[in-house]
Amino acid sequence: MDERILVEGLKQGDEAAFKTIVETWQNMVYNTALGIVQNAEDAEDIAQEVFVQVYQSISSFKGESKFSTWLYRITVTKSLDHERKKKRKKRFGFVRSIFGDQNEVLVNPPDFHHPGVTLDNKENAAVLFKAISELPENQKVAFTLNKVEGLSYQEVSDVMKTSVSSVESLMHRAKNNLRKKLEDHYNRGK
Amino acid sequence: MSKQSDIGKRIDETLESLRGVQRAELSPWFFTRVKARLERDQHNIWETAGSFMARPAIAIAGLVLILCINAFIVFEKDTLPSDPASISSNITEPVEEYVLNAANSNYDYENLEP
Repeated sequence: MDERILVEGLKQGDEAAFKTIVETWQNMVYNTALGIVQNAEDAEDIAQEVFVQVYQSISSFKGESKFSTWLYRITVTKSLDHERKKKRKKRFGFVRSIFGDQNEVLVNPPDFHHPGVTLDNKENAAVLFKAISELPENQKVAFTLNKVEGLSYQEVSDVMKTSVSSVESLMHRAKNNLRKKLEDHYNRGK
Repeated sequence: MSKQSDIGKRIDETLESLRGVQRAELSPWFFTRVKARLERDQHNIWETAGSFMARPAIAIAGLVLILCINAFIVFEKDTLPSDPASISSNITEPVEEYVLNAANSNYDYENLEP
């Protein structure tokens, strides 16, 4: 169905339109969140939040961009918020551990295995995702949208509200940083 | 030298490991969960407002605001003139002015003629 008709339907409060929207874009939203937060439960939680926000703020969507671009923006924002919150919690846990509170246990997350990666690439992809998680936010978003979601540089620039040349530069820096991190990783012998 | 080239090869392979990655998929009951969450969120508006107000930063800021308003009202009250005579003289001035003006109005001239 045409996305404009669906959006208009949702603006009128049509539940069938909302159901079609969720079913059409749920995997796109989930996969993007999963690429950024690298945890299946958290990614599903974020996907739910994204569609709740879509339902509540559909009136603010004016159709200036594609609906999918708007959805990507909400997903990226929520995923980055989630990451920041997690980092804050980790830092707070570290401070508590310095002051002798042993209730907060710092656990390094296990390697993330993306379900869409082929079996022969599984190990390498886990190493790559670990390196991606250490990239600065903008580089992480650009790299994830391009490599995990398969968006073109033009589409990535639309989502990130920046120019194609900026995306090219972000991708270049992301690849250089990843190369350095992977080199450290393989030199350490793990 | 060969170790470095091995590492270089592994890095290239790792960077290419996401080529052809399939999209991760959600369970078919995802929409039901979204609906449940939407209903839960709508029920929880008052709870959310309550928990927002109960945040220490918000509660303290609210308290400080109330104290400031109280202090402002008290100090403003103190700056009002305490002599009731001066207040009443201020009020009578415009009335007198009005009476004078009224006597000189065109209406009165017209009424003086028989």
